[in-house]
Amino acid sequence: MDSIVVLDHVTKTFKNKKAVDQVSFSIKKGEVVAILGPNGAGKTTSIMMMLGLLDPTSGEVRVFNSHPKEKKIRERIGAMLQEVSVIDALKVKEIIQLFRSYYPNPMPFEELVAFTGLNKDDLKRRADKLSGGQKRRLGFALALAGDPELVFFDEPTVGLDITSRKLFWNTIGELKARGKTIIFTTHYLQEADDVADRIILFNHGTIIEDGTPAEIKAKLSKQSVSFAASEAIDIADLKRLPHVSDVYKRNDRIYVITDQTDAVIAALFEKNIKISGIQIEHGRLDEAFEQLTENKEAI
Amino acid sequence: MSAFRMQCKVEIIRILRNPYFVFWSLLMPIVFYIIFTKVFNTNIQDKQEWQAHYLMSMTAFSVMGSAIMTLGIRLVEERTKGWSLFMRITPLSDHAYFAAKMIGQTVIHLFSIVIIFIAGALINGVTLTAFEWLMSGIWILLGSLPFLALGTLVGTMKRVDTASGISNVIYMILAISGGMWMPMDVMPAFIQKIGIWLPSYNFGNGAWEIIRGNTPEWINFLLLIGYLFLFMLLSSYIRRKQEAAV
Repeated sequence: MDSIVVLDHVTKTFKNKKAVDQVSFSIKKGEVVAILGPNGAGKTTSIMMMLGLLDPTSGEVRVFNSHPKEKKIRERIGAMLQEVSVIDALKVKEIIQLFRSYYPNPMPFEELVAFTGLNKDDLKRRADKLSGGQKRRLGFALALAGDPELVFFDEPTVGLDITSRKLFWNTIGELKARGKTIIFTTHYLQEADDVADRIILFNHGTIIEDGTPAEIKAKLSKQSVSFAASEAIDIADLKRLPHVSDVYKRNDRIYVITDQTDAVIAALFEKNIKISGIQIEHGRLDEAFEQLTENKEAI
Repeated sequence: MSAFRMQCKVEIIRILRNPYFVFWSLLMPIVFYIIFTKVFNTNIQDKQEWQAHYLMSMTAFSVMGSAIMTLGIRLVEERTKGWSLFMRITPLSDHAYFAAKMIGQTVIHLFSIVIIFIAGALINGVTLTAFEWLMSGIWILLGSLPFLALGTLVGTMKRVDTASGISNVIYMILAISGGMWMPMDVMPAFIQKIGIWLPSYNFGNGAWEIIRGNTPEWINFLLLIGYLFLFMLLSSYIRRKQEAAV
């Protein structure tokens, strides 16, 4: 069994509102998984259940084949959560040492400091006096304090500038090279695409796609063939063509959505459908992602 | 076990670095002590007894304050900042975390008792027998438990502002009507009637009896233990209700 995180038909209801609805997936050792979705999709709720901070209303969450609340499991995981401020009245190095003391095999102090890029002066400062970005770095150090096998990051890059983001993702790359399993949430498709081996796409509490970034992109970034609309063309006929996933009319043009534009054009000519002003469009990935999540919202 | 020791140490450091603690629990009681034994000390028959009595009042006042306010407000702060939630993903158990807080507080109380006792001995040359010093110290240390439980009750409040406002009011009411600022017998009769049932009076009275060469009254023991259980039950009931609401 090399699945280290398993969610089995997990549902979480808050006051009759389903935040997570019948979600199932499993994550293997060494995977870097992005949980992608718009705000309110159930990403954080899922992370909280994987960490044992929330109990599922129904279904089961297992981490390393155990309940996530078990002490021996908590020794093997680390996490950076949203909206966690730092403890007051302690210096940065004191907090790092405190966290190292919680774990049986902590990461060496110097290594942790190197990971966070905090300098010597920062270490001597009171943690509550640090800037927002520095607090994040401290949070990152605390997530890694126990040298965890499995690390969770909930929206790690929100509020970070471009340089800090780059630094953060580089570090994730290093962790990955060490064989750590990493689960992070984001609402940026680009981040998920750049960093993750696998994307689990969430919307309205359910998984709508699960696959490699390439697979997800292929599904999301639809191509289309469009041409001038005319009386003679029947949209229902077009829908029956092979490789066509959707057909619609907009601004006097007909759009045929497909993943195989060449085959569709060939078919159009073969059927002798009179078309003019042909254009082929490649949808932008970000737009497609937005459209997908918005469309589901309408349903 | 080293994690637990480290946690206790950190809790103690955090309290000592808290300026409110230093001001309210160390400085204020000593200043009050000077004012009420050095400045307004006319018409007192037994000066020595009064100086020892008021030293006990101020020590109890200090310890009661840090038990209710330092602990209570800190608990609320840690929850609102998401810190308590974050602690739950570490291998340190909730019980260990809580126990470390209690031990940290108790060490701090011991520290306050020693400091204020020394201040009393230096300022007024209060002389008690070694047995009286020891027993009154132990009484104040153990008697702080119901107030720690009251602190955890304050700790269940949702906002830091509410917690600090309410705990301040409770603290002052308990201190004044429990005879810590002025002796009980100069209080209006109706306050005396209520006061003798308050935990603060029973807390102070144990120490006042000890320095007079007596032992604390049975009712002091009983009421303090009763309050301890009452506050513990209430705060664990509220906590459980809050957890169920998530």
